[in-house]
Amino acid sequence: MQSHRVKRIAAGLVAIGLTASLAACASGDPLGGDGGGELGTITVGSQGFAESDILAQLYGQMLAANGYTVTYSPSIGSRETFIPALQDGSIDMIPDYAGNLLYGADPEATATSTADVMEALPAVLEPLGLKVSSAAQAEDADALVVTKEFAEENNLVTIADLAPIASTITIGANTEFEGRSYGRAGLESVYGVTGWTFKAIDDYGGPGTLSDLLNNNIQVADIYTTTPSIKEHDLVVLEDPKHLIAAQNIVPLFNEKAYSVAVANIVDRVSNKLTTAELMSLNEISAGDSKPSPETVARDWLKKVGLL
Amino acid sequence: MLFLAALAFIFDPANLLGDKGILPRLMDHLLYTGLSLGAALLIGIPIGLLIGHTGKGKNFVIALTGSFRAIPTFGLLLFIILFTGLGLWPLVVVLAVLAIPPIIAGAYSGLDSVNRETIDAARAIGMTERQILGKVEIPLALPLILGGIRSATLQIIATATIAGYVGLTGLGRFLIEGLALHDYTLAFAGAILVAALALVADGVLAIVQKLVVPHGVSRGMARTTTRSNRRSAPSALTRAPITEG
Repeated sequence: MQSHRVKRIAAGLVAIGLTASLAACASGDPLGGDGGGELGTITVGSQGFAESDILAQLYGQMLAANGYTVTYSPSIGSRETFIPALQDGSIDMIPDYAGNLLYGADPEATATSTADVMEALPAVLEPLGLKVSSAAQAEDADALVVTKEFAEENNLVTIADLAPIASTITIGANTEFEGRSYGRAGLESVYGVTGWTFKAIDDYGGPGTLSDLLNNNIQVADIYTTTPSIKEHDLVVLEDPKHLIAAQNIVPLFNEKAYSVAVANIVDRVSNKLTTAELMSLNEISAGDSKPSPETVARDWLKKVGLL
Repeated sequence: MLFLAALAFIFDPANLLGDKGILPRLMDHLLYTGLSLGAALLIGIPIGLLIGHTGKGKNFVIALTGSFRAIPTFGLLLFIILFTGLGLWPLVVVLAVLAIPPIIAGAYSGLDSVNRETIDAARAIGMTERQILGKVEIPLALPLILGGIRSATLQIIATATIAGYVGLTGLGRFLIEGLALHDYTLAFAGAILVAALALVADGVLAIVQKLVVPHGVSRGMARTTTRSNRRSAPSALTRAPITEG
Protein backbone atom coordinates (compact mmCIF):
# COMPACT_ATOMS: atom_id res chain seq x y z
CA MET A 1 0.00 0.00 0.00
CA GLN A 2 2.90 2.25 0.65
CA SER A 3 4.11 2.03 -2.89
CA HIS A 4 0.80 3.10 -4.32
CA ARG A 5 1.56 6.54 -3.14
CA VAL A 6 4.75 6.97 -5.10
CA LYS A 7 3.05 9.34 -7.47
CA ARG A 8 2.03 11.50 -4.59
CA ILE A 9 5.63 11.97 -3.59
CA ALA A 10 5.70 14.91 -5.95
CA ALA A 11 3.26 16.59 -3.63
CA GLY A 12 5.47 15.60 -0.74
CA LEU A 13 8.42 17.31 -2.37
CA VAL A 14 6.40 20.49 -2.58
CA ALA A 15 5.66 20.05 1.09
CA ILE A 16 9.37 19.97 1.86
CA GLY A 17 9.51 23.46 0.51
CA LEU A 18 6.92 24.42 3.08
CA THR A 19 8.90 23.06 5.98
CA ALA A 20 10.59 26.35 6.74
CA SER A 21 7.36 28.31 6.74
CA LEU A 22 5.60 25.66 8.82
CA ALA A 23 8.31 25.74 11.42
CA ALA A 24 7.94 29.50 11.54
CA CYS A 25 4.19 29.09 11.98
CA ALA A 26 4.67 26.80 14.91
CA SER A 27 6.91 29.14 16.80
CA GLY A 28 4.98 32.26 15.85
CA ASP A 29 1.69 30.45 16.45
CA PRO A 30 -0.45 32.43 14.03
CA LEU A 31 -3.15 29.80 14.24
CA GLY A 32 -4.99 31.42 17.06
CA GLY A 33 -3.92 28.89 19.65
CA ASP A 34 -4.05 29.99 23.25
CA GLY A 35 -0.37 30.27 23.97
CA GLY A 36 1.65 27.27 22.87
CA GLY A 37 4.41 25.73 24.84
CA GLU A 38 2.90 25.31 28.27
CA LEU A 39 2.13 21.66 27.76
CA GLY A 40 5.26 20.54 25.95
CA THR A 41 6.37 20.04 22.38
CA ILE A 42 5.04 17.52 19.89
CA THR A 43 6.69 16.86 16.53
CA VAL A 44 4.19 15.68 13.94
CA GLY A 45 5.49 13.68 10.97
CA SER A 46 3.85 12.82 7.69
CA GLN A 47 4.44 10.12 5.12
CA GLY A 48 5.28 12.23 2.14
CA PHE A 49 2.09 12.37 0.09
CA ALA A 50 -0.70 14.91 0.03
CA GLU A 51 -3.24 13.06 2.15
CA SER A 52 -0.73 12.35 4.89
CA ASP A 53 0.44 15.97 4.88
CA ILE A 54 -3.15 17.15 5.32
CA LEU A 55 -3.78 14.70 8.15
CA ALA A 56 -0.59 15.75 9.91
CA GLN A 57 -1.76 19.37 9.74
CA LEU A 58 -5.24 18.49 10.98
CA TYR A 59 -3.94 16.79 14.10
CA GLY A 60 -1.02 19.18 14.55
CA GLN A 61 -3.12 22.36 14.36
CA MET A 62 -5.62 20.87 16.78
CA LEU A 63 -2.84 20.17 19.28
CA ALA A 64 -1.37 23.65 18.75
CA ALA A 65 -4.76 25.21 19.42
CA ASN A 66 -4.91 23.35 22.71
CA GLY A 67 -1.69 24.50 24.25
CA TYR A 68 1.01 22.32 22.75
CA THR A 69 3.99 23.57 20.82
CA VAL A 70 3.81 21.72 17.52
CA THR A 71 6.58 21.33 15.00
CA TYR A 72 6.14 19.52 11.71
CA SER A 73 8.42 17.07 10.02
CA PRO A 74 6.72 16.36 6.71
CA SER A 75 7.69 13.70 4.18
CA ILE A 76 9.35 11.24 6.53
CA GLY A 77 8.59 8.49 4.07
CA SER A 78 7.37 4.95 4.40
CA ARG A 79 6.74 2.81 7.47
CA GLU A 80 10.30 1.47 7.39
CA THR A 81 11.49 5.02 8.01
CA PHE A 82 8.93 6.56 10.31
CA ILE A 83 8.70 3.74 12.87
CA PRO A 84 12.39 4.19 13.85
CA ALA A 85 11.87 7.96 13.75
CA LEU A 86 9.04 7.61 16.29
CA GLN A 87 11.13 5.29 18.44
CA ASP A 88 14.14 7.59 18.59
CA GLY A 89 11.93 10.60 19.26
CA SER A 90 12.76 12.57 16.11
CA ILE A 91 9.00 12.62 15.62
CA ASP A 92 6.31 12.03 18.25
CA MET A 93 3.22 11.39 16.19
CA ILE A 94 2.28 10.48 12.64
CA PRO A 95 -1.06 9.72 10.98
CA ASP A 96 -1.13 6.14 9.73
CA TYR A 97 -3.51 3.57 8.26
CA ALA A 98 -4.79 0.93 10.68
CA GLY A 99 -4.62 -2.20 8.54
CA ASN A 100 -1.23 -1.49 7.04
CA LEU A 101 0.12 -0.55 10.45
CA LEU A 102 -1.06 -3.87 11.88
CA TYR A 103 0.25 -5.99 9.00
CA GLY A 104 3.50 -4.05 8.99
CA ALA A 105 4.05 -4.75 12.69
CA ASP A 106 2.68 -8.30 12.57
CA PRO A 107 2.77 -9.98 9.15
CA GLU A 108 0.86 -12.94 10.59
CA ALA A 109 -2.15 -10.85 11.60
CA THR A 110 -5.55 -11.90 10.29
CA ALA A 111 -7.86 -9.12 11.49
CA THR A 112 -9.65 -7.25 8.70
CA SER A 113 -12.62 -5.35 10.18
CA THR A 114 -12.01 -1.96 11.77
CA ALA A 115 -12.97 -3.24 15.22
CA ASP A 116 -10.73 -6.29 15.01
CA VAL A 117 -7.79 -4.34 13.65
CA MET A 118 -8.06 -1.68 16.36
CA GLU A 119 -8.37 -4.35 19.02
CA ALA A 120 -5.27 -6.16 17.78
CA LEU A 121 -3.12 -3.03 17.42
CA PRO A 122 -2.20 -2.08 21.05
CA ALA A 123 -0.72 -5.49 21.89
CA VAL A 124 1.33 -5.53 18.70
CA LEU A 125 2.56 -1.96 19.15
CA GLU A 126 3.48 -2.18 22.83
CA PRO A 127 6.79 -4.04 22.34
CA LEU A 128 7.72 -1.36 19.81
CA GLY A 129 7.07 1.42 22.33
CA LEU A 130 4.21 2.82 20.26
CA LYS A 131 0.60 3.76 20.99
CA VAL A 132 -2.45 4.64 18.93
CA SER A 133 -5.43 6.80 19.78
CA SER A 134 -8.91 6.08 18.42
CA ALA A 135 -9.33 5.48 14.72
CA ALA A 136 -11.17 7.92 12.51
CA GLN A 137 -14.15 6.69 10.58
CA ALA A 138 -12.30 7.86 7.46
CA GLU A 139 -10.66 5.08 5.56
CA ASP A 140 -8.29 5.00 2.59
CA ALA A 141 -8.39 1.39 1.50
CA ASP A 142 -8.53 -0.59 -1.71
CA ALA A 143 -12.10 -0.77 -2.91
CA LEU A 144 -13.86 -2.53 -5.75
CA VAL A 145 -15.61 0.17 -7.70
CA VAL A 146 -18.16 0.04 -10.55
CA THR A 147 -19.98 2.66 -12.59
CA LYS A 148 -23.45 3.63 -11.44
CA GLU A 149 -25.03 2.30 -14.65
CA PHE A 150 -23.33 -1.06 -14.26
CA ALA A 151 -24.40 -1.27 -10.61
CA GLU A 152 -28.01 -0.54 -11.51
CA GLU A 153 -28.13 -2.93 -14.46
CA ASN A 154 -26.85 -5.79 -12.35
CA ASN A 155 -28.29 -4.82 -8.95
CA LEU A 156 -24.87 -4.55 -7.37
CA VAL A 157 -24.59 -3.44 -3.76
CA THR A 158 -21.99 -5.70 -2.20
CA ILE A 159 -19.04 -7.58 -3.62
CA ALA A 160 -21.05 -10.81 -3.28
CA ASP A 161 -23.47 -9.51 -5.93
CA LEU A 162 -20.71 -9.92 -8.49
CA ALA A 163 -20.83 -13.71 -8.11
CA PRO A 164 -23.62 -14.44 -10.65
CA ILE A 165 -21.97 -12.32 -13.35
CA ALA A 166 -18.36 -13.05 -12.41
CA SER A 167 -17.50 -14.99 -15.56
CA THR A 168 -18.46 -12.01 -17.73
CA ILE A 169 -16.50 -9.29 -15.96
CA THR A 170 -12.99 -7.94 -16.17
CA ILE A 171 -11.41 -6.47 -13.06
CA GLY A 172 -8.74 -3.83 -13.58
CA ALA A 173 -6.08 -3.26 -10.92
CA ASN A 174 -2.37 -3.17 -10.30
CA THR A 175 -0.43 -6.32 -11.10
CA GLU A 176 -0.11 -7.36 -7.45
CA PHE A 177 -3.89 -7.31 -6.90
CA GLU A 178 -4.43 -10.75 -8.40
CA GLY A 179 -2.10 -12.42 -5.90
CA ARG A 180 -3.17 -10.46 -2.79
CA SER A 181 -5.32 -11.97 -0.04
CA TYR A 182 -8.26 -9.95 -1.38
CA GLY A 183 -7.47 -10.90 -4.99
CA ARG A 184 -8.43 -14.06 -6.82
CA ALA A 185 -8.24 -16.37 -3.78
CA GLY A 186 -10.12 -14.12 -1.34
CA LEU A 187 -12.85 -13.13 -3.79
CA GLU A 188 -13.57 -16.79 -4.40
CA SER A 189 -13.40 -18.08 -0.82
CA VAL A 190 -15.17 -15.14 0.85
CA TYR A 191 -17.72 -14.10 -1.77
CA GLY A 192 -17.78 -16.95 -4.32
CA VAL A 193 -16.73 -14.53 -7.06
CA THR A 194 -14.73 -16.63 -9.48
CA GLY A 195 -13.96 -16.96 -13.17
CA TRP A 196 -13.36 -13.25 -13.83
CA THR A 197 -10.76 -11.89 -16.20
CA PHE A 198 -7.93 -9.77 -14.84
CA LYS A 199 -6.52 -6.74 -16.60
CA ALA A 200 -3.36 -5.34 -15.10
CA ILE A 201 -3.28 -1.55 -15.22
CA ASP A 202 -0.38 -0.34 -13.10
CA ASP A 203 -1.43 3.19 -12.30
CA TYR A 204 -2.83 2.67 -8.78
CA GLY A 205 -6.41 3.41 -9.76
CA GLY A 206 -5.32 6.51 -11.69
CA PRO A 207 -6.49 7.99 -15.00
CA GLY A 208 -5.83 4.86 -17.10
CA THR A 209 -7.91 2.65 -14.82
CA LEU A 210 -10.63 5.28 -14.65
CA SER A 211 -10.92 5.71 -18.41
CA ASP A 212 -11.07 1.94 -18.90
CA LEU A 213 -13.85 1.71 -16.32
CA LEU A 214 -15.85 4.55 -17.87
CA ASN A 215 -15.40 3.03 -21.35
CA ASN A 216 -16.55 -0.37 -20.06
CA ASN A 217 -13.28 -2.03 -21.06
CA ILE A 218 -13.23 -3.17 -17.46
CA GLN A 219 -16.36 -3.45 -15.35
CA VAL A 220 -14.76 -3.38 -11.90
CA ALA A 221 -11.75 -1.34 -10.80
CA ASP A 222 -9.60 -1.28 -7.69
CA ILE A 223 -9.59 2.38 -6.69
CA TYR A 224 -8.69 3.78 -3.26
CA THR A 225 -11.67 4.96 -1.26
CA THR A 226 -10.53 8.57 -0.88
CA THR A 227 -9.77 9.10 -4.58
CA PRO A 228 -11.78 12.13 -5.74
CA SER A 229 -12.63 10.48 -9.08
CA ILE A 230 -15.12 8.25 -7.22
CA LYS A 231 -17.26 11.26 -6.39
CA GLU A 232 -16.52 13.09 -9.61
CA HIS A 233 -17.81 10.26 -11.81
CA ASP A 234 -20.51 9.04 -9.46
CA LEU A 235 -18.85 5.64 -9.09
CA VAL A 236 -20.25 3.02 -6.74
CA VAL A 237 -17.99 1.45 -4.10
CA LEU A 238 -19.15 -2.13 -3.59
CA GLU A 239 -19.75 -2.89 0.07
CA ASP A 240 -17.58 -5.42 1.81
CA PRO A 241 -19.77 -6.81 4.63
CA LYS A 242 -17.49 -9.80 5.25
CA HIS A 243 -14.38 -7.63 5.52
CA LEU A 244 -12.41 -9.19 2.69
CA ILE A 245 -10.29 -6.06 2.39
CA ALA A 246 -8.51 -5.01 5.58
CA ALA A 247 -9.79 -1.81 7.16
CA GLN A 248 -7.49 1.17 6.61
CA ASN A 249 -8.96 3.73 8.97
CA ILE A 250 -6.86 6.76 9.73
CA VAL A 251 -5.20 6.32 13.10
CA PRO A 252 -2.81 8.69 14.90
CA LEU A 253 0.31 6.80 15.93
CA PHE A 254 2.43 8.04 18.86
CA ASN A 255 5.55 7.10 20.71
CA GLU A 256 5.00 6.33 24.40
CA LYS A 257 6.74 9.51 25.53
CA ALA A 258 4.35 11.81 23.69
CA TYR A 259 1.17 9.83 24.29
CA SER A 260 -1.13 10.80 27.12
CA VAL A 261 -4.86 10.63 27.68
CA ALA A 262 -5.02 14.40 27.37
CA VAL A 263 -3.29 14.33 23.97
CA ALA A 264 -5.45 11.43 22.81
CA ASN A 265 -8.60 13.31 23.80
CA ILE A 266 -7.55 16.28 21.69
CA VAL A 267 -6.73 14.31 18.53
CA ASP A 268 -9.88 12.21 19.01
CA ARG A 269 -11.94 15.33 18.45
CA VAL A 270 -10.47 15.51 14.93
CA SER A 271 -10.79 11.76 14.32
CA ASN A 272 -14.44 11.82 15.40
CA LYS A 273 -15.35 14.31 12.67
CA LEU A 274 -13.29 12.76 9.91
CA THR A 275 -15.26 10.57 7.52
CA THR A 276 -14.13 9.01 4.25
CA ALA A 277 -16.24 11.53 2.32
CA GLU A 278 -14.67 14.42 4.22
CA LEU A 279 -11.17 13.10 3.60
CA MET A 280 -11.94 12.62 -0.09
CA SER A 281 -13.09 16.22 -0.34
CA LEU A 282 -9.92 17.37 1.45
CA ASN A 283 -7.89 15.47 -1.17
CA GLU A 284 -9.99 17.06 -3.89
CA ILE A 285 -9.40 20.57 -2.55
CA SER A 286 -5.70 19.84 -2.20
CA ALA A 287 -5.47 18.65 -5.83
CA GLY A 288 -7.55 21.58 -7.07
CA ASP A 289 -6.43 24.31 -9.41
CA SER A 290 -5.25 26.72 -6.73
CA LYS A 291 -3.02 24.03 -5.15
CA PRO A 292 -3.56 25.21 -1.58
CA SER A 293 -0.99 24.12 0.99
CA PRO A 294 -1.86 21.24 3.35
CA GLU A 295 -1.73 23.81 6.13
CA THR A 296 -4.45 25.95 4.52
CA VAL A 297 -6.59 22.94 3.60
CA ALA A 298 -6.42 21.66 7.17
CA ARG A 299 -7.10 25.02 8.82
CA ASP A 300 -10.13 25.71 6.61
CA TRP A 301 -11.60 22.31 7.43
CA LEU A 302 -11.00 22.62 11.17
CA LYS A 303 -12.80 25.97 11.09
CA LYS A 304 -15.61 24.57 8.98
CA VAL A 305 -16.35 21.77 11.42
CA GLY A 306 -16.03 24.10 14.39
CA LEU A 307 -12.86 22.74 15.96
CA LEU A 308 -10.88 25.98 15.62
CA MET B 1 21.23 -19.58 -9.17
CA LEU B 2 18.86 -16.84 -10.22
CA PHE B 3 20.08 -17.20 -13.77
CA LEU B 4 19.52 -20.96 -13.77
CA ALA B 5 16.09 -20.59 -12.21
CA ALA B 6 15.19 -18.01 -14.85
CA LEU B 7 16.37 -20.33 -17.63
CA ALA B 8 14.37 -23.16 -16.08
CA PHE B 9 11.30 -20.93 -16.16
CA ILE B 10 11.86 -20.06 -19.81
CA PHE B 11 12.34 -23.65 -20.93
CA ASP B 12 9.49 -25.08 -18.86
CA PRO B 13 6.86 -26.05 -21.46
CA ALA B 14 4.13 -25.18 -18.94
CA ASN B 15 5.10 -21.51 -19.29
CA LEU B 16 4.92 -21.43 -23.07
CA LEU B 17 1.20 -21.10 -23.72
CA GLY B 18 -1.84 -19.86 -21.83
CA ASP B 19 -2.88 -16.42 -20.62
CA LYS B 20 0.48 -15.57 -19.17
CA GLY B 21 2.55 -17.74 -21.47
CA ILE B 22 5.75 -16.73 -23.16
CA LEU B 23 4.48 -17.32 -26.69
CA PRO B 24 1.37 -15.07 -26.61
CA ARG B 25 3.37 -12.34 -24.92
CA LEU B 26 6.16 -12.72 -27.45
CA MET B 27 3.63 -12.40 -30.28
CA ASP B 28 2.21 -9.25 -28.70
CA HIS B 29 5.69 -7.85 -28.26
CA LEU B 30 6.38 -8.51 -31.95
CA LEU B 31 3.05 -6.93 -32.89
CA TYR B 32 3.87 -3.72 -30.98
CA THR B 33 7.35 -3.71 -32.49
CA GLY B 34 6.10 -4.31 -36.02
CA LEU B 35 3.40 -1.63 -35.91
CA SER B 36 5.70 0.96 -34.37
CA LEU B 37 8.56 0.21 -36.72
CA GLY B 38 6.19 0.35 -39.70
CA ALA B 39 4.88 3.73 -38.63
CA ALA B 40 8.39 5.02 -38.00
CA LEU B 41 9.59 3.80 -41.42
CA LEU B 42 6.63 5.42 -43.21
CA ILE B 43 7.56 8.74 -41.69
CA GLY B 44 11.31 8.49 -41.24
CA ILE B 45 12.49 7.01 -44.55
CA PRO B 46 10.84 9.59 -46.89
CA ILE B 47 12.07 12.46 -44.73
CA GLY B 48 15.58 11.03 -44.51
CA LEU B 49 15.75 10.40 -48.27
CA LEU B 50 14.35 13.81 -49.07
CA ILE B 51 16.84 15.77 -47.02
CA GLY B 52 19.64 13.40 -48.01
CA HIS B 53 18.92 13.83 -51.72
CA THR B 54 18.24 17.54 -51.77
CA GLY B 55 20.51 18.53 -48.91
CA LYS B 56 17.79 21.02 -47.92
CA GLY B 57 16.63 21.45 -44.35
CA LYS B 58 19.10 18.94 -43.05
CA ASN B 59 20.25 21.02 -40.12
CA PHE B 60 16.71 21.74 -39.04
CA VAL B 61 15.48 18.16 -39.38
CA ILE B 62 18.52 16.60 -37.75
CA ALA B 63 18.29 19.02 -34.83
CA LEU B 64 14.55 18.49 -34.49
CA THR B 65 14.63 14.72 -34.58
CA GLY B 66 17.73 14.70 -32.42
CA SER B 67 15.75 16.54 -29.77
CA PHE B 68 13.10 13.78 -30.02
CA ARG B 69 15.66 11.49 -28.48
CA ALA B 70 15.45 13.47 -25.27
CA ILE B 71 11.71 12.82 -24.85
CA PRO B 72 11.15 10.33 -22.02
CA THR B 73 9.11 7.61 -23.70
CA PHE B 74 7.19 6.47 -20.63
CA GLY B 75 6.31 10.02 -19.67
CA LEU B 76 5.02 10.74 -23.15
CA LEU B 77 2.97 7.53 -23.07
CA LEU B 78 1.26 8.47 -19.79
CA PHE B 79 0.66 11.97 -21.08
CA ILE B 80 -1.07 10.70 -24.23
CA ILE B 81 -3.12 8.23 -22.22
CA LEU B 82 -4.49 11.08 -20.13
CA PHE B 83 -6.30 12.24 -23.26
CA THR B 84 -6.98 9.01 -25.13
CA GLY B 85 -7.45 6.40 -22.43
CA LEU B 86 -5.70 3.07 -22.58
CA GLY B 87 -5.13 1.38 -25.90
CA LEU B 88 -2.70 0.20 -28.52
CA TRP B 89 -2.28 3.44 -30.47
CA PRO B 90 -0.72 5.56 -27.74
CA LEU B 91 1.98 2.92 -27.41
CA VAL B 92 2.58 2.75 -31.16
CA VAL B 93 2.86 6.53 -31.34
CA VAL B 94 5.45 6.83 -28.58
CA LEU B 95 7.53 3.93 -29.87
CA ALA B 96 7.47 5.44 -33.36
CA VAL B 97 8.62 8.77 -31.92
CA LEU B 98 11.50 6.86 -30.37
CA ALA B 99 12.40 5.10 -33.62
CA ILE B 100 12.10 7.94 -36.11
CA PRO B 101 15.36 9.78 -35.23
CA PRO B 102 17.76 6.88 -35.91
CA ILE B 103 15.87 6.01 -39.11
CA ILE B 104 16.09 9.57 -40.43
CA ALA B 105 19.72 9.82 -39.39
CA GLY B 106 20.53 6.55 -41.15
CA ALA B 107 18.76 7.48 -44.37
CA TYR B 108 20.15 10.98 -44.43
CA SER B 109 23.73 10.04 -43.64
CA GLY B 110 23.55 7.11 -46.07
CA LEU B 111 22.68 9.42 -48.92
CA ASP B 112 25.16 11.99 -47.71
CA SER B 113 27.92 9.40 -47.86
CA VAL B 114 27.40 8.71 -51.58
CA ASN B 115 30.26 10.05 -53.65
CA ARG B 116 29.20 13.32 -55.32
CA GLU B 117 31.10 12.43 -58.49
CA THR B 118 29.07 9.25 -58.86
CA ILE B 119 25.87 11.26 -58.69
CA ASP B 120 27.19 13.80 -61.18
CA ALA B 121 28.14 10.95 -63.49
CA ALA B 122 24.64 9.49 -63.22
CA ARG B 123 23.14 12.88 -63.98
CA ALA B 124 25.56 13.31 -66.93
CA ILE B 125 24.42 10.13 -68.61
CA GLY B 126 20.86 11.41 -68.52
CA MET B 127 19.29 9.83 -65.45
CA THR B 128 16.29 11.66 -63.98
CA GLU B 129 16.41 12.73 -60.32
CA ARG B 130 14.10 9.87 -59.46
CA GLN B 131 16.40 7.39 -61.24
CA ILE B 132 19.43 8.82 -59.50
CA LEU B 133 17.72 8.37 -56.14
CA GLY B 134 16.37 4.89 -56.90
CA LYS B 135 19.21 3.38 -58.88
CA VAL B 136 22.30 5.09 -57.56
CA GLU B 137 21.87 6.78 -54.21
CA ILE B 138 19.64 4.32 -52.34
CA PRO B 139 21.61 1.19 -53.36
CA LEU B 140 24.86 2.85 -52.39
CA ALA B 141 23.36 4.16 -49.14
CA LEU B 142 21.69 0.87 -48.14
CA PRO B 143 24.25 -0.20 -45.54
CA LEU B 144 23.70 2.98 -43.54
CA ILE B 145 19.93 3.09 -44.11
CA LEU B 146 19.64 -0.45 -42.79
CA GLY B 147 21.98 0.40 -39.96
CA GLY B 148 19.55 3.11 -38.85
CA ILE B 149 16.63 0.67 -39.05
CA ARG B 150 18.53 -1.90 -37.01
CA SER B 151 19.25 0.64 -34.33
CA ALA B 152 15.59 1.74 -34.30
CA THR B 153 14.37 -1.86 -34.06
CA LEU B 154 16.55 -2.59 -31.05
CA GLN B 155 15.31 0.50 -29.27
CA ILE B 156 11.69 -0.40 -29.92
CA ILE B 157 12.11 -3.98 -28.72
CA ALA B 158 13.77 -2.85 -25.52
CA THR B 159 11.32 -0.05 -24.81
CA ALA B 160 8.12 -1.94 -25.74
CA THR B 161 8.41 -3.50 -22.28
CA ILE B 162 6.52 -0.44 -20.97
CA ALA B 163 3.37 -1.74 -22.72
CA GLY B 164 2.82 -3.97 -19.70
CA TYR B 165 2.22 -0.95 -17.49
CA VAL B 166 -0.72 0.39 -19.43
CA GLY B 167 -3.09 -2.52 -19.81
CA LEU B 168 -1.29 -4.17 -22.73
CA THR B 169 0.96 -7.22 -22.53
CA GLY B 170 4.23 -8.11 -24.24
CA LEU B 171 7.39 -9.50 -22.67
CA GLY B 172 7.49 -6.55 -20.26
CA ARG B 173 4.73 -8.21 -18.23
CA PHE B 174 7.24 -10.73 -16.88
CA LEU B 175 9.39 -7.89 -15.60
CA ILE B 176 6.46 -6.00 -14.09
CA GLU B 177 4.86 -9.05 -12.50
CA GLY B 178 8.22 -10.16 -11.17
CA LEU B 179 8.83 -6.80 -9.52
CA ALA B 180 5.28 -6.41 -8.20
CA LEU B 181 5.21 -9.89 -6.66
CA HIS B 182 8.85 -9.85 -5.55
CA ASP B 183 9.42 -12.85 -7.80
CA TYR B 184 12.83 -11.94 -9.12
CA THR B 185 13.23 -15.17 -11.05
CA LEU B 186 10.24 -14.13 -13.13
CA ALA B 187 11.63 -10.62 -13.62
CA PHE B 188 15.01 -11.98 -14.63
CA ALA B 189 13.41 -14.43 -17.06
CA GLY B 190 11.62 -11.45 -18.62
CA ALA B 191 14.88 -9.56 -18.95
CA ILE B 192 16.53 -12.55 -20.61
CA LEU B 193 13.63 -12.93 -23.04
CA VAL B 194 13.74 -9.27 -24.07
CA ALA B 195 17.51 -9.36 -24.51
CA ALA B 196 17.30 -12.59 -26.51
CA LEU B 197 14.59 -11.15 -28.76
CA ALA B 198 16.73 -8.07 -29.38
CA LEU B 199 19.76 -10.19 -30.27
CA VAL B 200 17.77 -12.43 -32.61
CA ALA B 201 16.15 -9.44 -34.31
CA ASP B 202 19.53 -7.80 -34.76
CA GLY B 203 20.96 -11.02 -36.20
CA VAL B 204 18.09 -11.34 -38.66
CA LEU B 205 18.49 -7.73 -39.75
CA ALA B 206 22.25 -8.23 -40.15
CA ILE B 207 21.55 -11.10 -42.54
CA VAL B 208 18.96 -9.03 -44.41
CA GLN B 209 21.52 -6.26 -44.65
CA LYS B 210 24.02 -8.68 -46.21
CA LEU B 211 21.47 -10.03 -48.67
CA VAL B 212 20.00 -6.80 -49.97
CA VAL B 213 23.11 -4.67 -50.25
CA PRO B 214 24.35 -4.94 -53.86
CA HIS B 215 27.61 -6.86 -54.29
CA GLY B 216 29.29 -3.91 -55.89
CA VAL B 217 28.58 -1.81 -52.80
CA SER B 218 29.82 -4.29 -50.27
CA ARG B 219 32.93 -5.03 -52.32
CA GLY B 220 33.48 -1.36 -52.95
CA MET B 221 33.27 -0.66 -49.23
CA ALA B 222 36.06 -3.10 -48.61
CA ARG B 223 38.35 -1.76 -51.34
CA THR B 224 37.88 1.91 -51.85
CA THR B 225 39.69 3.84 -49.17
CA THR B 226 37.93 7.12 -49.87
CA ARG B 227 34.51 5.50 -49.38
CA SER B 228 35.35 3.80 -46.17
CA ASN B 229 36.92 6.98 -44.83
CA ARG B 230 33.84 8.94 -45.66
CA ARG B 231 31.66 6.27 -44.21
CA SER B 232 33.15 6.13 -40.78
CA ALA B 233 31.77 9.43 -39.50
CA PRO B 234 28.09 9.04 -40.42
CA SER B 235 28.23 5.44 -39.39
CA ALA B 236 29.06 6.47 -35.87
CA LEU B 237 26.16 8.87 -36.04
CA THR B 238 23.64 6.14 -36.68
CA ARG B 239 24.98 3.46 -34.44
CA ALA B 240 25.89 5.32 -31.31
CA PRO B 241 22.56 6.48 -29.97
CA ILE B 242 21.09 3.55 -28.15
CA THR B 243 20.04 5.66 -25.24
CA GLU B 244 17.20 3.79 -23.65
CA GLY B 245 17.19 0.37 -22.28
